[in-house]
Amino acid sequence: MKYVLATLIVLGASGAAGAGTPPPEAATCQACHGVHGEGVLDGGKPRLAGQSAHYLDKQLRDFASGARDNAIMGAIAKGLNDQTRSKLVEFYASLPVPVPLEHTSATAAQVGRGHQLAIEGAEGKRVQACNNCHGPDGSGVALSAPALAGQLATYLAAQLKSWQQGGRKNDAGNLMSSVASKLDDADIAAVSSYYAGLSASTSASH
Amino acid sequence: MAQRLKEVDVVVIGVGMVGSILAKELAAAGYKVVGLERGTTRFTVPEFQSPGIHDELRFDVRKALMQDNTREPVTFRNHSSETGLPIRRWESFLPGTGLGGSMVHWNGQTFRFQANDFQLATRTRERYGKGFLDPDLTIQDWGVTYDELEPHYDRFEYLLGTSGKAGNLKGQIQPGGDPHESPRSRDYPTPPQKEHYSGALFRKAASSLGHHPFPQPSSNLSQPYTNPEGLKMNTCVFCGFCERYACEHYAKSTPQTFILPVLLANSNFELRTGCQVQRINLDSSKKRATGVTYIDNAGRELEQPASLVITCLFAINNIRMLLLSGIGKPYDPATGKGVVGRNYAYQTMSTVASFFDADVIINPFMASGASGTMINDFAGDNFDHSGLGFIGGAFIGAVNTNGRPIQYHPTPPGTPTWGKGWKDAVVKHYNHTVMFSLHGSSVSQKQNYADLDPTYKDAWGQPLLRITFDFPKNDLKMAEYVTARGVEIGKAMGAKQVAGSPRKGPYTTQQYQTTHNTGGTVMGNDPSTSVVNRYLQSWDVPNVFVIGASAYPQNASWNPTGTLGALTYWVADALKSKYLKNPGHLVSP
Repeated sequence: MKYVLATLIVLGASGAAGAGTPPPEAATCQACHGVHGEGVLDGGKPRLAGQSAHYLDKQLRDFASGARDNAIMGAIAKGLNDQTRSKLVEFYASLPVPVPLEHTSATAAQVGRGHQLAIEGAEGKRVQACNNCHGPDGSGVALSAPALAGQLATYLAAQLKSWQQGGRKNDAGNLMSSVASKLDDADIAAVSSYYAGLSASTSASH
Repeated sequence: MAQRLKEVDVVVIGVGMVGSILAKELAAAGYKVVGLERGTTRFTVPEFQSPGIHDELRFDVRKALMQDNTREPVTFRNHSSETGLPIRRWESFLPGTGLGGSMVHWNGQTFRFQANDFQLATRTRERYGKGFLDPDLTIQDWGVTYDELEPHYDRFEYLLGTSGKAGNLKGQIQPGGDPHESPRSRDYPTPPQKEHYSGALFRKAASSLGHHPFPQPSSNLSQPYTNPEGLKMNTCVFCGFCERYACEHYAKSTPQTFILPVLLANSNFELRTGCQVQRINLDSSKKRATGVTYIDNAGRELEQPASLVITCLFAINNIRMLLLSGIGKPYDPATGKGVVGRNYAYQTMSTVASFFDADVIINPFMASGASGTMINDFAGDNFDHSGLGFIGGAFIGAVNTNGRPIQYHPTPPGTPTWGKGWKDAVVKHYNHTVMFSLHGSSVSQKQNYADLDPTYKDAWGQPLLRITFDFPKNDLKMAEYVTARGVEIGKAMGAKQVAGSPRKGPYTTQQYQTTHNTGGTVMGNDPSTSVVNRYLQSWDVPNVFVIGASAYPQNASWNPTGTLGALTYWVADALKSKYLKNPGHLVSP
């Protein structure tokens, strides 16, 4: 049986109230990450809205230094001075977390497996719960781990593969590569679609 | 009438750190091993996961992982003239229960003792002369040397993946490590954990005074690690919930992370939980064990026959198991005769608190249980004791293990203990205080011992263990001296106020000090002053081995776990290479 994680929640009034006017420099970001930083399905461009300022700032610095390898983001990040980077980061962190973009098609079994990995982990694989670090419901922990809830499944899956294969390694203590290396493709698909389907009602920047 | 079960080769009593390592070694060597654990099974997933595992009220205040003292307490008194009373709330020390044992809730501080410690009586006599010691002290040599244990320390550290920096590689002093350590054959398996800010302040101040700071060896790992058993562990995230808690990240080395999956996969091993062992059974000669009798969770009395019985309980429970079984002569403090319960010792813990202004931000909550910076310049016999009137010492370290909100609230002396004045002081000092731990040695003396309580019984009707203990004068003098050295470092850090708290007597069970209970089934070369020989084999019943910190003739300046790990592998080797091929006394009594 196919189980469709429907988008039931519309952009809440309380969330919309916090949204400011984008700084002019955000035009570059909007081109790929969506007008409201909600992410773009095509190409798996991640959601930025509501992500913690600390996390966004670190990623931009890592793109600029090459610690996180991405040709497009590297070029863009190198062009940002401290003031602009800070302005953009604060802007996206302040945006309300949008409703999930995707109508993720996932089986009930997949959602169940994703939920299990998220809240409990898997003893057989020696994988701890994602939420241990990423916070309740994957809502993020401001200074240490990004929000996962409401993130694009394609982006999450691509990142997990990248951690697993050594393409991405810009975290503390190689934590994500150790965890990702123990997940198989089915686990990655399950946990990615699980988080993508969460409505992300809490913001990482609180 | 107990139901008699099918005989096995080996019964292991207690499936904690020692039990799981030994059981794995023997099962892998082809022996049928049954592990009897009084507690429950528990694993990283699901039992240790967040957010439940960070419940400070449940684990820190209510001691959820500890031995159930509504059913099985310990009685305590300071002197043999007093009546012992049951400890109904654990405070001063915290014996654990359940699969993985007390190691599940340890801090991960993984030390070796120094060569000198294993020959303390001889070396003290050699360096300071015969009349130096208080005549009440009963310190003695271990019967095993550091050099004999070195390969086993090494194996234990590589099992755990311990993170540290060598200070002495095969006699070559290494910059950045502990220059006082005894030679190690190779460096730690993983590099040290990151240094927290209080450690950095300590390092600078201690160096300025001519001391030798080094990173505390930690089994909360600094990087991913695969151990020789093929088990993968993760990097510690500095969540600050180690001691009294279990680790949710597979980052703190416990039997769950370093050995149990391998042990439980071996069909030669059978784990039985909920088994309260009542006694080791002896034949009519009283010189041979026939197995054990236990009561399971259903209340059934069962007899498990075995050719070899290994008791691997927490130190004080090892003593009790021997006393309940009638193995070895109980110690009598009036005559000094007897050995079981003799040389019970502990650890002499002092603290120094350094209070800074608001511009020095410590963030104590970013910590692991062993991510400290420390010195050994005043530990053991690393300094001249001539004229000081004591032996022993302490490591001094900025060992900031946590900043948990209910239990961590340093305040300067003179602060009210409740109300607005206390609350204001907690707010003011929480994030601006550096705490030093001064981890002191503990000598054994005639008056301190353990025996069976004449009055109080456990839920199964068996006498409780009674501990009779107070701090020897030697150790209180040591605490005074070493605390003064700690205060000097606090002042050198530039703190606004430095408060030293040397340990004072009498010993109280009401305040947490440390779970480093030692002695009572002491090892040695002389059956009149030891319970077990140098291979931890009972002198009286040679098919019983007793493994725990209960074997330590006195306690050294460091946490006892590393040495217990080394002794465990030392015994495993002796069992496999000697005893099991030809059962009998490994040392003639």
